[in-house]
Amino acid sequence: MFKPLAKDRWGFATAAHLFNRAGFSGTPAQIERLASLELEEAVAHFVDYEALADDTPNPEWAKADPDRAEKLRAARNAGEQERRVMQREFQQAERQHLIQLRHWWLDRMANGPRPLQEKMVLFWHGHFATSMTKVRDAYLMWRQNDVFRRLATGNWLELLLEVAKDPAMLVWLDQAQSRKEHPNENFAREVLELFTLGEGHYTEKDVTEAARALTGWSYARPRQEFIERPFWHDRGQKVIFGQTGNFDGEDFLKLVVAQPQAARFITAKLWKFFAGNDPSEDLANALAAEFRRSGNNFKPLLRAMFSSEAFYAPEIVRNQVKSPVQWLVASVRVLERDLPPPLLCVGLTRSLGQDLFAPPNVKGWDGGLSWITTSTLLARYNEAATLVQGHLAPFAGASLANRPKAILPAERRRENPRLGRVDVEKIFSEQERSDKEALIAAMEKRLLQSPLKPDQQQTLRDYLAAHAELDDTHIRNALRLVMSTPEYQLT
Amino acid sequence: MKGELTLKTRREFLRTSLLGGAVTWTLPTFLANTFAALQAEAADKATQTTTGRDTNILVVLQMAGGNDGLNTVVPCGNDFYHRARPKLALPEDKILKLNHDVGLHGSLTGFKALYDAGQLAVIQGVGYPNPNRSHFRSTEIWQTASDSQKVESYGWLGRYFDNACPGSDPAVAVSVGRQMPQAFAAKTPTGVSLENPQNYRFIPPGRGQAAEMTSAEESFRRLNELEPEMAENSGGTIGALRGAITHPGSALDFIERTALDAQVSSDEIRAIVKRLENQATYPASQLGNSLKLVAKLIGGAMPTRIYYVSQGGYDTHTNQVNAHDRLLRDLGDSVKAFVEDMKSQGNLSRVLLMTFSEFGRRVAENASGGTDHGAAAPMFVVGDCVKAGLLGRYPSLAPEDLFQGDLKYQVDFRSVYATVLETWLKTRSEPILGQKFPQLGLV
Repeated sequence: MFKPLAKDRWGFATAAHLFNRAGFSGTPAQIERLASLELEEAVAHFVDYEALADDTPNPEWAKADPDRAEKLRAARNAGEQERRVMQREFQQAERQHLIQLRHWWLDRMANGPRPLQEKMVLFWHGHFATSMTKVRDAYLMWRQNDVFRRLATGNWLELLLEVAKDPAMLVWLDQAQSRKEHPNENFAREVLELFTLGEGHYTEKDVTEAARALTGWSYARPRQEFIERPFWHDRGQKVIFGQTGNFDGEDFLKLVVAQPQAARFITAKLWKFFAGNDPSEDLANALAAEFRRSGNNFKPLLRAMFSSEAFYAPEIVRNQVKSPVQWLVASVRVLERDLPPPLLCVGLTRSLGQDLFAPPNVKGWDGGLSWITTSTLLARYNEAATLVQGHLAPFAGASLANRPKAILPAERRRENPRLGRVDVEKIFSEQERSDKEALIAAMEKRLLQSPLKPDQQQTLRDYLAAHAELDDTHIRNALRLVMSTPEYQLT
Repeated sequence: MKGELTLKTRREFLRTSLLGGAVTWTLPTFLANTFAALQAEAADKATQTTTGRDTNILVVLQMAGGNDGLNTVVPCGNDFYHRARPKLALPEDKILKLNHDVGLHGSLTGFKALYDAGQLAVIQGVGYPNPNRSHFRSTEIWQTASDSQKVESYGWLGRYFDNACPGSDPAVAVSVGRQMPQAFAAKTPTGVSLENPQNYRFIPPGRGQAAEMTSAEESFRRLNELEPEMAENSGGTIGALRGAITHPGSALDFIERTALDAQVSSDEIRAIVKRLENQATYPASQLGNSLKLVAKLIGGAMPTRIYYVSQGGYDTHTNQVNAHDRLLRDLGDSVKAFVEDMKSQGNLSRVLLMTFSEFGRRVAENASGGTDHGAAAPMFVVGDCVKAGLLGRYPSLAPEDLFQGDLKYQVDFRSVYATVLETWLKTRSEPILGQKFPQLGLV
């Protein structure tokens, strides 16, 4: 079973690790506060987030469009020319909403009161990887995001049921069009292959039968919501996992979560997301057992994970590549600066290789080492200047290369002054700003939570030595240099 | 210091040693000693090491948005064509005839010249079974060479890198643009994407303050150096050079190596771009600029085997005529300039350029003077070594032969990929494409 972390190992380094993984990193002061708690309390601070009020308003457009049915009718009756104009306007509005939605979520991660909840939303977004490229409705993308948030650490079956009836998912994996005469297998297949069991744990027959069971779960476009269409549902007998019955979608998902493999699959994936590597055989068994014991609820599992010795093993700590989103949000937090304006956030995460609400395919982001290529690494090094010095890195903002009209150079210029830079006096004391050794140590503690290699320390020392008196610009340059190291890309 | 850095990456070991005297960097003794071992092991593993001057190069050109194949390679004598397109059918004087039945769009004078010079092959009616009409999905199908119902994580070129080029230079694949195309997605991330070579580097702070910039740049290089003992340990075999030296498998080890690779390729690419001049006049367009950069990198002997460029704007739902004219003129003229550039460099025999688009467009025009998403369309293959001419059969336009108003494909695009992999990149296509596809007499 899980061996809990020994009491004497709980301190600044382990607290920093918990903050990095269960959330999006903390400032030295925040980490020290966490470390001053008992481990159990510290874990509860993240896991029992319902205790913390969250009154972040939703985007104002994040509701069903009351005029949607009317608009669809108007579009149907319009001439082709007119329809295209309407379509273009609609798409432009959606593009704007998507930019706002990304920023709204990043802001929740960076500044919201419940970091673990947002981290779990990020996990579910990668797991149920749904993309705006096909859904084309920012409200639906927001709505799915909200489901993930509401059930972030809840019950597995409950989440699967909601996701199966989620409009964005119904559109994304074609379930909306699936009817008994010609069932669409896309969603049924991905449930088994990607969402719950993994390849090799179901048969092709299970896929076709599950698709039949799911027929009739559809999407009502005019109302932008789930609809059950009884005439589309196949009422015949189905055989799934060797069991026979007149199954519907709900029956199918119940059968799925009852499979022993279901607990193993999702808990191992969750471990990998938080710990950074695959669990050992023993650990995988323990995770699955804990999950089943708690009735397939995620919260007790997360509590056990974050309290376990295994989670703080040396090969786990500071050995996970920051995802682009983690890189941006954690950087903003440890630098104690604002999130850049919406369009810049879009450009920045894109140049690092991650578009929220537009994962590359149904499998989501590969993550891990695949975040790092020569180009994305240089982008990280240069985007560090965006955040620290307020220099617009050449990539930032210039996104959507294939749709040049969507991004206006004028807009980039307008946003530039709003970017802002790091307030050196806010994050370093007067003593740290005047004593170079103290400054190096403070930077290590804030940015890496561990020391640099001696050669690297010497490099920083030499760099700072060139300036008799350090001003804020030099300090910012040095901060940016520390962020332009392989070490900073890890968490 | 730069020389030292340069030689610490696996790619420089490979390239410098295999090239012998062809590059000017000096070779440390421990490397010279392992020269023979390197070559032996490379040969042993059937790994395609690249030296920059002797291997074949493939340039992939994406026509994004879904090109209207019917108005690109025009079935000029066909009644069905004129009936389906009362407004958009090209008149005789806007067609560059290839034979009695088929001609190129009048803007494709560049392609016509290449065709007449025996440097252009037109593959007619390329597509795949159960065509998908979504840009996103169909692009994904072309990029990953998957069946229409199956989702593949890795790109077809990514699988080529994984299969045929393990451990090679990351610049074995270069994409001109901000993003890596899905075709490059590989188990081992490979490839460099750059929009502007001037930005593909660490950009030091302190604009206008030369001393500060130099000092920051210098510090950056030192911060991203490998520890000395790591470099010394690297003098073994290719296996040892592929990473995993001091802390096996750690993420830090991987990033440190990538950081060095980034610096080296950045220095190299920028030096090439600065040193070389293009030997042809290109259109002042995004595609023209992309191909200019590719030409320079080829001329500069980059170890790149695959270049990827794209031209957008083919999603011509409305008022297609002018937009399509302009796009095709840009395409033909840019590619022709590129061919001339390659020729004067003496590299034309090593270069093959292939175009693709995610789908063609509906046979019948729509009411907005445009065309909607369709299926099969032609591909172009350009080079000195191609069997020039028209390949395959033009798909029938007869209404009873269409599938939901679209042309039926004659050639599976994966047959084209298979041919390029086997005959041009000299590797077995089956492990990459997952099945055997008939090859075409193309190269």
